[in-house]
Amino acid sequence: MQRFRRIVAAIALAATATTTVAACGGGDSGGDSGAKTLKLWHYESANSAMGVAWDRAIEIFKAEHPGVEVRFERKAFEQIQQNAGMIINSSEGPDIMEYNKGNATAGLLSSQGLLTDLSAEADKRGWAGKLSPSLQTTARYSDKGVMGSGNCFGVPNYGEYVTVYYNKDLFQQHGVPVPTTMAEMTAAMDTFVGKGVTPLGMAGAEYPAGQLFYQLALAKADRQFVDNYQLYKNPVDFTADPLKSGAVTFADWVRKGYVAKDSASLKAEDMGTAFIGGKTPMIVSGSWWYGRFKAEMKANWDTFLFPGNTLQAGSSGNLWVVPATSKAKGLAYDFIDITLRPEIQDLIGNNGGVPVAGDPAKISDPKDRKLIEDFNTVSKQDGLAFYPDWPVPGYYDVLVSGFQGLINGSKSPDQVLDSIAKPYADGVKEITGK
Amino acid sequence: MAVTLTPVDRAPATSRATPVRDRHHRGAGRWLVLALVTLGALVMLVPFAFMLLNAFKSPSDYSNGGPLSWPTEFYTTGLRTYWTTVNFPLKLWNSTLIAGSVAVLGVAVSLLNAYALGIGRVRGRLWIVGLFLLANMLPQEALIYPLYYVAKQVGLYNTQLSVIIIFTVIQSAFGTYLLASVMGTFPRSLLEAAALDGAGKWTILWRVVFPNLRPTLAVLLIFFFIWTWNEFLIPLVMLIDNQTQTIPVALASLQGDRLMDAPTTNAGALISLVPAILFFLIFQRTLARGITAGAEK
Repeated sequence: MQRFRRIVAAIALAATATTTVAACGGGDSGGDSGAKTLKLWHYESANSAMGVAWDRAIEIFKAEHPGVEVRFERKAFEQIQQNAGMIINSSEGPDIMEYNKGNATAGLLSSQGLLTDLSAEADKRGWAGKLSPSLQTTARYSDKGVMGSGNCFGVPNYGEYVTVYYNKDLFQQHGVPVPTTMAEMTAAMDTFVGKGVTPLGMAGAEYPAGQLFYQLALAKADRQFVDNYQLYKNPVDFTADPLKSGAVTFADWVRKGYVAKDSASLKAEDMGTAFIGGKTPMIVSGSWWYGRFKAEMKANWDTFLFPGNTLQAGSSGNLWVVPATSKAKGLAYDFIDITLRPEIQDLIGNNGGVPVAGDPAKISDPKDRKLIEDFNTVSKQDGLAFYPDWPVPGYYDVLVSGFQGLINGSKSPDQVLDSIAKPYADGVKEITGK
Repeated sequence: MAVTLTPVDRAPATSRATPVRDRHHRGAGRWLVLALVTLGALVMLVPFAFMLLNAFKSPSDYSNGGPLSWPTEFYTTGLRTYWTTVNFPLKLWNSTLIAGSVAVLGVAVSLLNAYALGIGRVRGRLWIVGLFLLANMLPQEALIYPLYYVAKQVGLYNTQLSVIIIFTVIQSAFGTYLLASVMGTFPRSLLEAAALDGAGKWTILWRVVFPNLRPTLAVLLIFFFIWTWNEFLIPLVMLIDNQTQTIPVALASLQGDRLMDAPTTNAGALISLVPAILFFLIFQRTLARGITAGAEK
């Protein structure tokens, strides 16, 4: 499926690339004040935090724009992921839609002129002031489609970050205190190992392994490293810290039994259900699990930030983008503005999501509040370091196969670093031309 | 497909039809075959069993007990959620319309093509048949962009007609290949007799060739319908409005970026499968009738 998906993505990219000229010709119409419909697409499920909040935003929009019809359609993630370029390059596309952040998605479409530059609106309506610098990184794209600088092409509503979920009942049962430093964390894991429990859930066949490696590397990294690695400011040395220490520590954790060797072939879903089922004391994974754990898990659980790190894997969530072919740009801007209002932001927070401009004091559930406070802490200290597979296209599979080798013990840390260094260098070369 | 499906389906029917006393006289070999076929059928049914099991399980039940556990309650919310959120009746209509049109048109086009190639014996037919085979082997991924571009230019992007045309062509490429080979072995004496009676090309096609090929055409029709029904990629690209989408595309909307909802996906798969199974069962009969009708003539 992964391979198939990549092929399709590649075709979609090639497709949009060849029609850029046609798309650029359109230009800004601007005069859509007479638009009577707003075609709105997103792909969040109806009962998710964003689904609930955006339903409310649509209601508010309707109340404030009598006579305007909102034609909302909930799309398949797959469909937008694969076809966004083709869809918004036709006259059948939406006026506003949710789209994935990142160089390969929003960045690519912006560089092809398929997205509307929102910079002027962002200034006028004060959106920029509501978003912290590391949240804005994924909203701005250069003319080459590289995030971090340039014009604003999307507006995030929610954030996401990698944190530690732990099973309170298992911690209590084995007499383990909740760690606040890395030393306490390893001590806690030693205790679990001593009692025959594998402390850390892992899924080698999907993103969790790469993210744990990245978290371990970030322990010794600074913002400069993140800029180098993610935004290609300077070359990255894979044989030196922090990446080296990340891989070495990872191998160490496997050797000490913190991570099960047979987890190399597991999927993220397996890791998640093992945690929900109370079989795993801890997992290091993203806030996207939060709502599901809250709804489905019977044991007591909570979260804490990955100890010792100022930088955490994470980013803004997906973006609202306005396609260049939108026939109701003014209405689209109004809608984005509504989604950033405190009422909608608090609704995201109260439903288990992480609002970008939320007020923790307005969040009633203490566990929800903790999730958002932790995110705000990270976000305020400019600590969102994005994800390890972002820098170059196709890097996700490189990381998965590399760390599978590390988990099942078939590769040494140096070999793994070696195997992930070259695809990175090649990919960066292709993007920057250097 | 036909070879594997028919024995599985037939085996219980034959054993039921044969009188009990008779079976004991057939020897151990028959029992062995029956046992193997039953085993094969059961193995094929395992995925369906899992789907059924998980379709009636609540998400928390699934997460806590895993896919193998017995549901603690009979949970139908997943089925209902899927039905209403994707507007299933509409998707069912879309899928039926597309797959049905493609099946009929595809068979018609295949028949006409194959008549020219297999019986008309046009010049260079081997090359033409080879070309059809090649077209049939071309991966859909390679076709997607040209198809998108053409559909956009002629104003058919995001219409069901575009998908119907595309699949009629793709399916009839296979159909032509198959029917051309079948018609190549058509008894010449029958054709000559008809020609002597003064039948023209059309009359021969409708009165002689078509009735004799009816069983084959029925099988093609069923295959075209089910293949088109299950198509994912081209409908996904071509049909972007929820109003025009087909069932497999609707099913994909249950899968998120990083999260999946296994019980609802199972429930959706279950509902989505039912029409295709019903179609197959209904046409099994027509198929049998078609075979006997052909034999009598």
